Amino acid sequence: MKKKTAFSLMALTVALTTVLSACGSNDGASKPGNTPSNTNTSGETKQVTLRFFSNLPDRKSGQGLAEQTVIDNYVKENPNVKIDVEALAEEPFKNKLKAYMASNEPIDITMVHNGAELDTLVAAGYVTELNPKDYEGEKYNFLPGVFTGFTFNDKIYGLPRNSDYSVIYYNKALFQDNGIKVPTTVDELMAAAKAFQEKKIEPISMNGKDLWNIGAMFQNLHQRLSGEQTSLKEAAKGQRKFADDPYVIEAAALLQQMVKDGIYNKAYMTMDYGASQNLFTQGKAAMWYMGSWEAGMASNESLPQSFRDNLGVIRFPVVNDGKGGINDLIAWNGGGYSLVEASKNKEEAKKFFDFMMSADQWAKVAWDTGAAVPAQKYELTGKETEVQKELANILLEATSTTGILLIDASTASFKDAAQTALGKLAIGNITPEEFAAELDKAASKK
Amino acid sequence: MHKVLSDRMAIFIFVFPGLAFFILTFVAPIILSGYYSLTNTIAPGTSVDMVGLSNFKELLLHDERFWLSLRNALLLGLGFVLIQHPICIFFAIMLDRIGGKAEKWFRTIFFIPCVISVVVISRMWLSLLDPTFGLLNKVLGFLGLESLQHVWLGDSSTALGSLLSILIWSGFGWGLLFYYAGVKGIPEELYEAARLDGATGIKLHWRITVPLLSPVITVQVTLAMITALKQMETVFLTTNGGPGDSTQFLAVYLYNQAFSASNYGYANAISIMFIIVCLLVTFLLNRIMKNKNLDY
Repeated sequence: MKKKTAFSLMALTVALTTVLSACGSNDGASKPGNTPSNTNTSGETKQVTLRFFSNLPDRKSGQGLAEQTVIDNYVKENPNVKIDVEALAEEPFKNKLKAYMASNEPIDITMVHNGAELDTLVAAGYVTELNPKDYEGEKYNFLPGVFTGFTFNDKIYGLPRNSDYSVIYYNKALFQDNGIKVPTTVDELMAAAKAFQEKKIEPISMNGKDLWNIGAMFQNLHQRLSGEQTSLKEAAKGQRKFADDPYVIEAAALLQQMVKDGIYNKAYMTMDYGASQNLFTQGKAAMWYMGSWEAGMASNESLPQSFRDNLGVIRFPVVNDGKGGINDLIAWNGGGYSLVEASKNKEEAKKFFDFMMSADQWAKVAWDTGAAVPAQKYELTGKETEVQKELANILLEATSTTGILLIDASTASFKDAAQTALGKLAIGNITPEEFAAELDKAASKK
Repeated sequence: MHKVLSDRMAIFIFVFPGLAFFILTFVAPIILSGYYSLTNTIAPGTSVDMVGLSNFKELLLHDERFWLSLRNALLLGLGFVLIQHPICIFFAIMLDRIGGKAEKWFRTIFFIPCVISVVVISRMWLSLLDPTFGLLNKVLGFLGLESLQHVWLGDSSTALGSLLSILIWSGFGWGLLFYYAGVKGIPEELYEAARLDGATGIKLHWRITVPLLSPVITVQVTLAMITALKQMETVFLTTNGGPGDSTQFLAVYLYNQAFSASNYGYANAISIMFIIVCLLVTFLLNRIMKNKNLDY
């Protein structure tokens, strides 16, 4: 009896395993794009479907349009290739990419964020190492130093798509109508904020829920005080102490004071990226502290004409007696693209990837459509919007750049801890000294 | 029939699918989670190093955020039990007393929040509580109560309270439904008898309705505590634990450690503690509220 039971159990297990594994392989094969499939009618080239994962769900304007244009260009030249785009908004995108990584999903090309986020993908072996030699020279025309956030242990795992730098977009009409001076110093900025509050207009719209942008502003203040751009990065890597840097304390105290004085919109702590942008584009906030990748606002026809006409951009103001100048730029290369190691069409994927990253594709299209400021050299067309011209000038006249944001300069674990500390600092739950100590604690954890 | 049920093989075949499902979806993940909790892996698919119990040591002895999020979850549970449930019982009795068409109408109205998607509820409350454009502050301003205006969800002193109110509001319908069913099950004769003995108004319900609801209350309190511990979506969609951790809840903290901070091993340690806490709370509650079987 016992023997019989044991045998039946075994038989059942075997049967079940077979059934389950059959399900598995069926499932894999039925997904489009996983397999390079049959040859086409001419019999020369293989039909290939590439899976492209993007953080730009709006395919009709700005960067999403530029990205889609490049994809369309490639498909036109290579009719045997089909590119399936999956695009999600920023935060869901990040989450899903982690899920793809966990299950080693065979997508082909993905958008990636530099530094801490890419660090995890590299550790998991999900993205493909690139040969920097392939991307030298005129075909690509990358600006110097743009691979910083994509380099791990001297190997690069992705290519940047933009030159990102923090600026203040502002609504000219709101400044003019209320007789408020466009600020060039932090004191003027605070005075302007006060004047706007009295007029019941929100001063700076801030996506505080995401926290990273508060980090960028902290870094901006630190730069304006200290006049240099390397100490924060070194401290994040544990090479020096945040607490030993008097400018960290000073910048933290200044940021805390500014928030306390109401420089941000009141609901900043519950506002995500989109909500903060809406507040600004609807003319309810006078300024938006954001990156150069929003250049496309000026030519985005879904925004009201009156807003676009009044859109201006300025450099982050200086601090009186600070060592940093107005042309020192918090600049980095945040977004980029990587090839995926799990891809089943590696060769075709790389061909498309190289095409997309060549200077006459992404860089040119992104600039020409006014979507972003590329990380590659580009030609002026003469059709640029005022905002674009000003943004180009800001980068051209930059006397120093950052390379990577403080929060991205180490691991994802550091990023999370640093962002939490920034949140607490902003709302005044911790003192600037405690803030520095929390950053040091985060940096010491490896 | 008897022959079939005494055959071990037959029993096995009938039980196996359910058992296999249970093992694959409950037991195996917990065991896997237990394994990962002893490692310092940063994400699924990355290298795995055993670090023994150091994750748990860190969690229990040095991690303020964990204790804070546990405290918040327990506070929410208390909020459910002490604020939401008395209101639910009160409204259940009221509904029962109103009777007729109105009863049906109000029953439906009270249940509406439970059928609205969590995303919609979160967005709606974000708008209602918006400090500048929100209805609440506007009404306060209109009534001349500017001093009471707050940055409800963005200020660490009011964020937790505001969030608790949202959660208590949105879960109100479920509580009401259970208590209402309980109240409906109490025979009318008992009230008549009590009235003859001179019990009226609040006393009548305090002496008759509430004691007879005790089986429902026992189940509801346990469910409320577990719901509170598991709370995730509304927090994630409104404050994401902020400002500055003041609305950090266990499940949100766990999620962020696993997927934002890339502390996968550590997050698994949190999830193991999470299971232990849930079991402990359930056990204690069952102990405290020993189910007295009531016959009537």
